[in-house]
Amino acid sequence: MKDFIKLSNVKKTYKVGEIEFNALDGVSFEIPKGEFVVILGPSGAGKSTLLNILGGMDDVTSGNVVIDGENIENYDKNELASYRAENVGFIFQFYNILPTLTVRENVDIVKDIVKKPKGTMEILKGVGLSKHADKFPNQLSGGEQQRVSIARAIAKNPKILLCDEPTGALDSKTGVEVLKLLKKQCDANNGENTVIIVTHNAQIAEIADRVIRLKNGKIESNTINKHPKEIDEVVW
Amino acid sequence: MLFRKMIRDIKSNVSQFITIFLMVLIGVMAYSGIESYMDGMKTTADTFYSENNLQDLNVMGANFTKEDLDKIKEIDHVKDAERKLSITALTDKDKTLLLNFIESNNISSFYIVDGEEFSYDLDGVWLDEFYAKENNIKVGDEILVKYEDMELHEKVRALINVPDHLYDVRDESELYPDRKEFGFAYVSSNEIPESFIKNKAIKEAGVSEDIFDMMMPNFNYKDHLIYNYVMVDVDKKSNKNLVKDKIEDEVESAKAVIDIKNSNSYVQYQGEIDEGKTYVGVFSGLFLFIALLSVITTMTRVVKKQRLQIGTLKALGFKDSRVLLHYMGYGFYISLFGAIFGLILGYFIIGKMFIGLEMSFFEIPNGKPYFGIQNYLVAGIVVLIATLISYFTCRKILKEKPAEALRNEMPSAKNTSFITTRGIFKNLSFSSKWNIRDMLRNKMRTIMGIAGVVGCCMLIVCSFGMLDTMNRFIKLQFSDLFNFDYKLVLKENISDDKLNELYDKYGNNTSLSLGIEIEKDGEKEANNIFVDDSNNYVRFIDKDDNFIKIDTDEGVYITHKLAELKDYKIGDKVRWHIYGDSKYYESKIIGFNKDPQNQNVTMTRNYLESLGIKYTPDSIYTNKDLSKVKDISGVESIQDINALADGMENMLSMMKTMLVLIISVAILLGVVIIYNLGILSYTEKNYQFATLKVLGFKDRQIERIFIKQNNWIAIISILLGCPLGYYLTDWLFKTAIEEHYDFGAYITIRTYIIGAVGTILVSYLVSRFLAHKIRNIDMVSSLKANE
Repeated sequence: MKDFIKLSNVKKTYKVGEIEFNALDGVSFEIPKGEFVVILGPSGAGKSTLLNILGGMDDVTSGNVVIDGENIENYDKNELASYRAENVGFIFQFYNILPTLTVRENVDIVKDIVKKPKGTMEILKGVGLSKHADKFPNQLSGGEQQRVSIARAIAKNPKILLCDEPTGALDSKTGVEVLKLLKKQCDANNGENTVIIVTHNAQIAEIADRVIRLKNGKIESNTINKHPKEIDEVVW
Repeated sequence: MLFRKMIRDIKSNVSQFITIFLMVLIGVMAYSGIESYMDGMKTTADTFYSENNLQDLNVMGANFTKEDLDKIKEIDHVKDAERKLSITALTDKDKTLLLNFIESNNISSFYIVDGEEFSYDLDGVWLDEFYAKENNIKVGDEILVKYEDMELHEKVRALINVPDHLYDVRDESELYPDRKEFGFAYVSSNEIPESFIKNKAIKEAGVSEDIFDMMMPNFNYKDHLIYNYVMVDVDKKSNKNLVKDKIEDEVESAKAVIDIKNSNSYVQYQGEIDEGKTYVGVFSGLFLFIALLSVITTMTRVVKKQRLQIGTLKALGFKDSRVLLHYMGYGFYISLFGAIFGLILGYFIIGKMFIGLEMSFFEIPNGKPYFGIQNYLVAGIVVLIATLISYFTCRKILKEKPAEALRNEMPSAKNTSFITTRGIFKNLSFSSKWNIRDMLRNKMRTIMGIAGVVGCCMLIVCSFGMLDTMNRFIKLQFSDLFNFDYKLVLKENISDDKLNELYDKYGNNTSLSLGIEIEKDGEKEANNIFVDDSNNYVRFIDKDDNFIKIDTDEGVYITHKLAELKDYKIGDKVRWHIYGDSKYYESKIIGFNKDPQNQNVTMTRNYLESLGIKYTPDSIYTNKDLSKVKDISGVESIQDINALADGMENMLSMMKTMLVLIISVAILLGVVIIYNLGILSYTEKNYQFATLKVLGFKDRQIERIFIKQNNWIAIISILLGCPLGYYLTDWLFKTAIEEHYDFGAYITIRTYIIGAVGTILVSYLVSRFLAHKIRNIDMVSSLKANE
C-alpha cells in the first residue's frame, strides 16, 4: 500500500500586510499506510501548517494533497468536515477538550458525527481513564486530559491520527505513556493506521518508522528508520 | 499613550462599544423622556392654574344675587369671588356651546391665544380655541347662539384657553371630548338681552306682560340677571374646607359647594398625570433595567477580553491604580456620551412628542416637557454603574498574579454540573447537555438574557393586553351594561304632561341620578345614586361579570370598588343626603355590583319612593332609531350609544400610537439584548466551536447547538413573560387609573400568542444571524488563540 498520503509541491503563502511569507515552500512526500511518522523541525518551520493541511483544516496556496487516492483540495466545506469526521483524529498540545462535558461525554460526542464509533468505555479502559469517566476536565491532570483527547480521537476509529506536540505540555513520564498510546493506535487495526506526530523533540524521532525534517517551509530530509527503538529503550 | 490604546481598543471592539453606547442612550432616553413628559404635564398645568388663577371652589345654585356674592366675599379666607351664568346653548349649526356670562374675569382668567382681553363693556364672544379650530372659526367671525327664546349674534373677540376647561365633555357619560361638536364660550353678562330676563320674570310671576309692566314699573333687568355659579378663590388651600362649610351654612342659595379638585376637567387632567406616573415607574424603569443589564454584561466581557493586555501592563510594571483608571475610562466615556445623547433625545423626541400628543387632547397653553434634576441623577447613576463594572472586572483580573493573568482564563466546571451528570440529564443529547451546562456555568449571562427577553415579552403582552382590556371595557360598558341604543337626557324642569308624551313615544324605561354626599366616620364625600326604573335597559353585573338583577326594595347596592375603598360590608348602612337638602337617610347595603366607570350607589325606584322621595326621571332609554332626530322637545340631549362607543375607540387610537412606540422599543431592546448576549456567548465559545469543527462537525450542526440555547432562553422567557405581562397590565389598570374606574386586565389568547411568537421570532432571527458567524470560524487561529 504505497502512497496513502501524497503531497506534491505544496505551497502555503501567508500575506501579512505587504509581506508575503511562505510557510510551506514546495513540500512533496509520500507516506504509506500504517507508518508511525515524526515530523521534526524548529518553530516556524511550517510543521503545524503542514499538519493543518493534512487534517483538512487549512487549504494550500498551490500543489496537491492526496489522501487515500482522493485530492482533498477539491473538497468543499462539508466534504472537508466529513473527511475530518471519518478519517482524521486530532491531538493537540493543549488537548482542546470541551470543559463543560465529562470525560465520557467528551468521547461520546463523536457519536454525533461518526457512523460506527468505537465503544466509549472500551476506549477509556484502553487509555486508563475508566475510573474518571464522570469527571470534568478540570478535575484531571494534564496527562489525563491528553488521554481524554486521545480517547476522543481514537473513538472515531480514524485512518490517520495527527498529533501536534502531543507531549509538549507534559512531564516526561506522562509523555511516555501518551506516546505508548499513540503507538498502540498505530499498531491496531492490523497495522493499517497511520500516526503523524509533529514535534521539535528529536528524541521522539528515535521510535518513528519515518522521520521528515522541515526547515523554513522546505523538506530538509525524509528518512526511513530501519530499526525504530521501542519506547522504553529511549532515554528521555 | 494609554488613552491612545483606549481609543484603538474601542475602535477594534466597535460593535460592543456601540451596543453599550446605544443601550445607555435608549435607557436614559426612555427614562428621561417619559419623566420630563410627565413632569412637563404637571408643571404646565400648575403654571396655567396659578397664572390664570383657577378657582378653588365652585358654588352652584339656582340663582346668586349680588347680596349672595357679597356674603361669600366677606367670609374669612375668601380672596375673591365671581358669579357666572352657565348654560348649554346651541349654535345655528347645531353644535353645542357651554355658554358662560360673566361680569369680570379675574378668576379662571382667559389665556388669549388670539384676539383681545375680556372687558365687561365689550360685546362679542371669547371662544374655545379648540372648538374654533375644529370648526374653522377665526377672530372677527360672527357666530349665532340660541338658548330658549334668546338669540345672540356675537363677533368672535378672541380665541381662548381657560384653566377650568382643559377637558370638556357635553355630559359625563361621554369619555372623549368632541371638540367639533362641543365647546365653551364666554360673553359679558352685559350682553344678556333684556327681553330674555324680562320674559323669565314674567313667566315666574305668572301674569301677562301688561300686568307685569303695571306691577313693576321700574323693572330694571340688570337687577334680575341670573347667575347659577359662583367661583371662589380662597387665600390658602388649607382653608378650602373651612370656606366650603361656611358657604354651605350661610349662603342659602348655595345648593352645592364643590372643590375644584372634583371637577371633571381637573380630575381628568390629574388622572392623566397619575396614570402616567405609574407608566413612568414601570416602563421607563423596565427600559432602564434592561438597558443596564446589557451594559453590565457587555462591559464585563469587554474588560475580560483585555485579560492578556491587563497582564502585560502589569508585567510591564504599571501600578494597579493606573490600570484601573485606564479601564474605568472605557465604561465612563462611552456611557457618558450615551447618557448625554440620551438626555438630549429624551427631552426633544420623547418628551416633546408625548406632550404634543397630550396638548392636542387637553386644552392648555405652553405645554412643554420639564427637565427635573432626577433625570441627571439617573443618567449619572447609569454612568457610575458602567464605570464601576469596568472597575470591578478589571480589579478581579488585577488581583491575580501577572503570570496567571497572562494566561487565558480556563473555564472551570463548577459543582453545579454535578446535577447534570445523573438522572434524566444522562440521556440527553450531547448538545442539550452542553447547552445546559453552558447556561449553568454562565449563570449571570443566562439570567441577564432571560431577564432581558422576559422584559421584552412582558412589554409586548402588556401593550396588546392594554388594548384587549380597553376593548373588553367598551364591550362591557356599551353592549352589556348599556342595553339600549339611545339615552334621552331630560330637561331639568320637564312637565308631567311632556314626560307622559315622551313615555308614549319612547317607552317608560327611565332612571334618575341623584347627586349625594355620603358621610362615613365624619368624612363627607360627593357621590351619586343611580335610581333604576329602566326595566333591564340598564343592566348590572357582579364582580365576575355575571349579570345580576337589582330588584330588591329593601336597600341599596353599592359597587365593589366603593365598598373596598370605604370599607363597607353587606348589611352595613350608608348614610347620605341629597345635595341641596340636608336631610340624611340611612340605607342598608343589600349587595355589591361592579361598574367599570362609576363607583356609586344603586337603588330601585320603589326603594327611593319608600324613603318618601319623589321619583322624577332624568333619562329615558329607548331602542327606537333616532339617528336622524336632532332635537326632541323636553330633551336636553340625545346620546347615541354607538357614537359614545366610537368616541371611546377614538381615544384608543391615540393609545395605540403610544403602544406602537412601546412595542417598537421593546422589540428593539429584545433584539439588542439577544444579539448582545449571542455575541458574548459566541465569543466565549469560539474555541469550543472550533474544536467541534476540527472534530468534523458540520457548520449546520454547530449552528443548531448554538441556536438551541437562545431558543431555550426565549421559551423560558415566554413562560415567565406572559404571566408577568398579565400581572403588569392588571397592576397598571388597578393602580394607575382614576379611582372611579374599576376594571382589571383582560388579555386574550391572541395577545399571548403574539407575545410568544414575537419573542421567539426576534430570538430566532437574531440567533440565525449570529449563527452565520460560525461559518467564518477559522479553526487554526481559534485553536491557536487558546494556546
